[in-house]
Amino acid sequence: MPVSLPRTGPRGRLLATSALLVLALTAVTSCSSSGGSSSADEDPNAKVTLTVNLFSDFGYADLYKEYEQAHPNVTIKENRADMGAHHQNLHAHLLAGSGTADIEAIEIGQVAGFQPEAGKFLNFLDNGVSKDQWVPSKTAPASSPDGKVLFGLGTDMGGMALCYRSDLFQAAGLPTDREAVAALMKDWPSYLAAGKQFLANSPNKDARWFDSGGNLFSAILAQAPQGVYDADGKVVVTSNPAVKQSFDLVAGAIKDGESAGIQAFTPAWDTGFQKSQFATVACPAWMSYEFKANPPTDGGKWDIARIPGGGGNWGGSYLSVPKSGKHTKAAAELAKWLTAPEQEARLFKEKGYFPSDQALWTQPDIAEHTDPLFNNAPTGKIFSQSARDLNPQPLGAHGAEIGTALGNALTSVEQGKADPDGAWKQALKDVDNIVN
Amino acid sequence: MAASTAAARGARAPARTAGHRWHRLDRTVSPYLYLSPFFVVFGVFGLFPMLYTGYVSFTAWRADRPGSEGQWVGLENYRKLLDDPFFWNAVKNTLGIGVLATVPQLLLALGLAHLLNYRMRGRTLMRLGVLLPNVTSVAAVTLIFVQLFGRDFGMVNWFLSLFGVDHIDWQAGTLSSWSAIAAIVTWRWTGYNALLYLAAMQSVPFELYEAAALDGASRWRQFRSITIPMLRPTILFTVIVSTIGALQLFGEPMLFSQQQDPTTGGSQHQFQTLALYSYNQFWGRFKYGYGAAISWAMFLLIVLVAVVNFLAARRMRGAE
Amino acid sequence: MTTPALPRRRRAKSTRQLTAGRGVYVVLGVAVLLSLFPLYWTLVAASRSNTEIHRMPPVLLPGGRLWHNITQVFAQTDLRLAMVNSLIVATTVTVSVVLTSTLGGFAFAKLRFRGRGPLLASVVATMMVPTQLGIIPLYIMMANWFHWADHLQALIVPAAANAFGLFFMRQYLIGAVPDELLDAGRMDGCTTRGLVWHVVLPAARPAMSVLGMLTFMAAWNDFYWPKVVMTQQNPTVQLTLSELASGYIKDYSLVLTGALVASAPVLVAFLLMGRQIIDGIMQGATKG
Repeated sequence: MPVSLPRTGPRGRLLATSALLVLALTAVTSCSSSGGSSSADEDPNAKVTLTVNLFSDFGYADLYKEYEQAHPNVTIKENRADMGAHHQNLHAHLLAGSGTADIEAIEIGQVAGFQPEAGKFLNFLDNGVSKDQWVPSKTAPASSPDGKVLFGLGTDMGGMALCYRSDLFQAAGLPTDREAVAALMKDWPSYLAAGKQFLANSPNKDARWFDSGGNLFSAILAQAPQGVYDADGKVVVTSNPAVKQSFDLVAGAIKDGESAGIQAFTPAWDTGFQKSQFATVACPAWMSYEFKANPPTDGGKWDIARIPGGGGNWGGSYLSVPKSGKHTKAAAELAKWLTAPEQEARLFKEKGYFPSDQALWTQPDIAEHTDPLFNNAPTGKIFSQSARDLNPQPLGAHGAEIGTALGNALTSVEQGKADPDGAWKQALKDVDNIVN
Repeated sequence: MAASTAAARGARAPARTAGHRWHRLDRTVSPYLYLSPFFVVFGVFGLFPMLYTGYVSFTAWRADRPGSEGQWVGLENYRKLLDDPFFWNAVKNTLGIGVLATVPQLLLALGLAHLLNYRMRGRTLMRLGVLLPNVTSVAAVTLIFVQLFGRDFGMVNWFLSLFGVDHIDWQAGTLSSWSAIAAIVTWRWTGYNALLYLAAMQSVPFELYEAAALDGASRWRQFRSITIPMLRPTILFTVIVSTIGALQLFGEPMLFSQQQDPTTGGSQHQFQTLALYSYNQFWGRFKYGYGAAISWAMFLLIVLVAVVNFLAARRMRGAE
Repeated sequence: MTTPALPRRRRAKSTRQLTAGRGVYVVLGVAVLLSLFPLYWTLVAASRSNTEIHRMPPVLLPGGRLWHNITQVFAQTDLRLAMVNSLIVATTVTVSVVLTSTLGGFAFAKLRFRGRGPLLASVVATMMVPTQLGIIPLYIMMANWFHWADHLQALIVPAAANAFGLFFMRQYLIGAVPDELLDAGRMDGCTTRGLVWHVVLPAARPAMSVLGMLTFMAAWNDFYWPKVVMTQQNPTVQLTLSELASGYIKDYSLVLTGALVASAPVLVAFLLMGRQIIDGIMQGATKG
């Protein structure tokens, strides 16, 4: 999708986009005879069911309906698995050459692992997409090493913030105002110190400071210049001091009883939100769906402030179209539409997913957006600032799995199964098994 | 079926000699014909993959490394296995969960069968009741038990809290997670085994008990010296079958896990079974060769445990 | 395993049948309660909301949201497709297994042929082989050779015959079909096929229905192989259930509603045929 659209307001842009879409579509069908794949011969009006495999809620339900109305021949079916299984399955199905859905989501921590298989995906650069829609740090990981294939369209990105329960803060004598909260917790040590204060003074003894050590670790490490990989694609878990430092910081907080020890993305986590089991969550933009779906049953309120340490990206995703899918052309159209600026903007305003589409960051309705879910906090300002501040970390094939292993190690500390040293050693063994 | 149709047609033919020949052909060929579906299916989808797994286990095949297919490495994968702490951990977990899941289960089943053997009202209902868990699926049951074993809001912890026991994080500990998984298995299979024992108990001649009673043997004594020995073949059968089942545990530990990657079997692999580990290596890490070696090691372990069970049972008999 | 295959009814009369005292009823009652409770509780959870089932102390009575939850589960997941798939697979597998097992079991039980002993031993031995042992090649076969991955035949064909069924029918037919009857049939000029049709199938019917039930439940409940070879685009019930657990829906009342709905067909079948199943299991036991 060319990004040089005249920015004349929503309606004009929609028209322009549709026109371009139609153009792109006709261009594609007119040269279909030269395309080798069977789907190139597809009749654009034939009835198709497009399958979309995601690993969490991307907030697409309303968009699907709209798309289906505009394209009466298209039916969209979404499936979700947990993140690990989703990417494992995608790998296995790509290798097998069958079993992929028409559209498959890929998470940024996993995307590097799919680079060697770039040839098995539809190249969006041949399908009317320009890389300029995104910042290079978003497109590079989803491209072949030579840059000639773009196999993932950026959806959202994970600019970070700190979500906190203002009612619990107030009861514990902590500031509730966003600026004051941000000022009190400039960095992670001061955040954890505030946590101790919270635990000591909060009348609600069931509420801990944060949800899970694994989550906090992801957030802290995401701010380092390097994560578990260096720029040469080498695993640097042991040689990058930031990894161990973040690990120790979180492990110490767990020892102090600050963690609720609830595994993120499990049913227990949802219940934790509902039952007010923690007072803060390091929250990337995409986590908003979680807050929306699970309001506290005690009537408590979430608010949102700048993240301690400032900046960083955690997560964010791509949509890809494997060539082994049944309807690659139709799937590409849908993927392009879902990641087009209009839809990205809607997803942010309605669902909270912050767009990776760079032109949107300065668009007033995005930059000045406030979210009633978070006490009308200026989420547009917070997340676009964090997106602009982003210093992208080098990525590697097994980044997400290594992250999971380190998170598991912290879980074992939470569970009292291991001391921080033992857990760290265990994690290194896991990393070794993952990499070799 | 073509041959048997031909045979049938032949049988109706008027010529006696031809009929005879058909009859002979029918009698020699039919048995093989009737057995062929099983042997064809087993050969193609059982035996062949099994042998092929053996071959793959001698290669360096990784699905994510093109060209590694068919790269012969001899015993390298097995050597690596011996040094692999995760493998031995999985062996330990498999055996541990295996013991916890079979021993109490079979003892409970034995006791249950003994009680079910009384003459009583509602006999069929009782039997139906204890067998019901067996028809539910691993996936459904594990989902249910994950909730029952929930740390903060689970029914089990609530029940224990009535007796002053603190909330247990069932997934966290080695023993606690083993017990919870064993509980799932036990819940599903106790009733089934009880029915097997009950059937065997009903075939014990009453006269034996009468004679023993005349000799002044107590009920307990009768149970030990008549019922148990008479049940030995059934017990041996259930021990072997449940052990084999327990050594292959996959769905229960996988769905019981609350980690991001359910194939790791807990934060410290505390309930990662062999089946789970081999799946993790094969499906999650694309190590086809290594995964195949784990599968074979697992099979050998099963055979070994079955043989040990068998010998132990034989010695038990010898001792008496 | 070696108990002689006497007709059960006659034997039952001569066994010890003490009348149950109160203690026996109490202990058995507790056992039955423990067996039923998790399922009952699933019903409770499926008829309430997520926050209600996370109350302490827990709620123990069903609420009024069962229908709401069921429609939600069907709206939010592919359970309908999954149930149709599972029904097709389980039915086809059941018919095939019962037929092949009856024929093969008859051959082992009543026909004399070269290699019978070793073949029978090999059938028994294959019952020990875990599914996992062949899973990698099996997946490669399905995905790369036959291109069956994600198609129902990948579940049906490998399960079309199995050692357990064969052995089960053999054990039953040894006692259920008298040799004299077969000999008489042969004298009348029956072919083997004629014997199967006129003698074996009628005699085998009770065991066939038990084997059918057991096979259906096993096929319906199978998890490992479907997990490998099928995808979410074309799931079975158990796959959809496992997806429910892994983040698709994290509302536990809906997860348990899914578990309830997915178990309903086998539970109903069990309640309808429970008696025969119990008899079948117990007969298999004494003859095994």
